[in-house]
Amino acid sequence: MLDFAIYCLTIIAVWSVLGLSLNIQFGLTGLVNFGQVLPFGLGAYAAALAAQAGLPWPAGAALGLVVAVAVSLMVLLPARRLSQDYWALITLGAGELFRLTALNAPSLGGADGLTVPRFADPHLALGAALALMAAAWLVSHRISHSPFGRLLKVLREDEVLAATLGRNPVSYQRTVSIIAWAMAAAGGVLYAHIVGYVSPSSFTVTETFIVWTALILGGPGNNLGVVVGAAAVQLLSVSSRFVASWIDLPADVLANGRLALFGLVLVLMFLFRPQGLVPEKKEVRDAQRR
Amino acid sequence: MLSVDKVSLSFGGFQALRAVSLVAMPASITGIIGPNGSGKSTLLNVVAGVYVPDSGAVTLNGRPLAYGRPEQVAAAGIGRTFQVPRLAHRLTVFQNMMAGERDQAGEGVFNLFLRPAAVSSREAEIAGRAEAMLKRLGLAHKANDYAGSLSGGQQKLLTMGMLLMSDPAVLLLDEPAAGVNPVLIEQQAALLHELKAEGRIVMLIEHNMEMIANVCDRVFVLDAGELIAAGTPAEIRADERVVRSYLGMPA
Ligand SMILES: Nc1ncnc2c1ncn2[C@@H]1O[C@H](COP(=O)(O)OP(=O)(O)OP(=O)(O)O)[C@@H](O)[C@H]1O
Ligand SMILES: [Mg+2]
Repeated sequence: MLDFAIYCLTIIAVWSVLGLSLNIQFGLTGLVNFGQVLPFGLGAYAAALAAQAGLPWPAGAALGLVVAVAVSLMVLLPARRLSQDYWALITLGAGELFRLTALNAPSLGGADGLTVPRFADPHLALGAALALMAAAWLVSHRISHSPFGRLLKVLREDEVLAATLGRNPVSYQRTVSIIAWAMAAAGGVLYAHIVGYVSPSSFTVTETFIVWTALILGGPGNNLGVVVGAAAVQLLSVSSRFVASWIDLPADVLANGRLALFGLVLVLMFLFRPQGLVPEKKEVRDAQRR
Repeated sequence: MLSVDKVSLSFGGFQALRAVSLVAMPASITGIIGPNGSGKSTLLNVVAGVYVPDSGAVTLNGRPLAYGRPEQVAAAGIGRTFQVPRLAHRLTVFQNMMAGERDQAGEGVFNLFLRPAAVSSREAEIAGRAEAMLKRLGLAHKANDYAGSLSGGQQKLLTMGMLLMSDPAVLLLDEPAAGVNPVLIEQQAALLHELKAEGRIVMLIEHNMEMIANVCDRVFVLDAGELIAAGTPAEIRADERVVRSYLGMPA
């Protein structure tokens, strides 16, 4: 039972990293990334490929970050002059393209995937996941409460306004993508070493959907909210598995039921609490402080 | 000197601007008037780099401006407001004002993580100026309110203040007085006179003829995308064509 709790915490930490990454993109900047699973998958596969080549894990991590950043810039290129709707479609498509490639390329292991050396000790895995989450948190926090983050929020509210104020929206969006995709890729590297294998079925649109559910549930624009959302979604996910085993639900029904449940959560949040459980805080200036 | 030289622009088959030429001088306020749909906002959008003209040129002190690149035009020292104010509604008034400053050390990611001291000292300096600007505009008591919660007139004032944070040489204002109460209009007029005294080029689109008469040194009149008259406010009032197409019969 304790092992299970440790595993849950580890997974929550990894998904928090994914959520924090999405929050920088969507919560702060307004970029609708429906392919959040892509940098995650790139990181995981880079870790796997490096391991297959007999390289130590830092090489896989470095590869993952570099590839994710490069791909983020490639995806951004056509999206540059396009509106947000196209951005969503392009990222969605890019994520699927990657999954299908992994599924069909023998060198990437096809449907079976690749094995990755696992953390010897689950405590170590938990420690690494918490450390990565803390790093992602610090970066997110610094950005949120900075002039850079302020401008990102202006961009989120009104791109035309940002341009009118003399800022090039695309260059800020590019910076955001680089940071956020590197963050998600780091999560992917870690994830691969935690679960011990990578396969296309771990990087579907469903994964992106789950990150979005966590963000919308927790509170877009609020880092704490993202972690709360990630924890809530993962716990919901885990407990649904227990419920299913009690009432003898087949696995596929469970999977679909879980998605329906997340969909319901999204609809309810949009209807009744669009700001999330932990809403974005108003940055109040305290004139007395100076 | 801001100079618009024979600018033409059509949307599909519709000719919105027909070889419009005008100049706006430093330390003066230039008005642009004309009926609804005569092309005033379109002209302003060409100058501000939103639209690319089919022909003609816009120059500031002899240097051509970047067409279709509003952020570059803004960086060249040209600030513009919109007919419907644009603000970051879910940021506070104070944060909007801060974002008006273009030159921010803290917007560079490397500075953010590697030179935090430089970032915070610059931030404190900008905050001081934002505070002063809010006082100047009479919005200090609203500093911590969401910008979206301001009244329309207050929003227009705030957008002007945001532009002023970057000390622009040129201000292009699209109907600042529309839907604004008389007291606030007076406040705006006073502000415009100050900006003029500071040597800036101010260009003003307005339907409020009292405001135009009060503040403008020179007025250009557009009708159906064409410049039909130019002169002092008094001359414009007396121009038969302007009266016919826009002002209507004097009572
Ligand atoms: N992006 C666009 N596409 C097509 N037509 C446009 C576009 N922008 C403006 N127009 C047309 O150009 C004409 C001039 O519009 P503009 O907004 O410049 O008028 P205006 O003089 O500012 O009017 P108002 O006093 O009502 O603000 C109008 O007929 C308008 O429909
Ligand atoms: Mg107009």
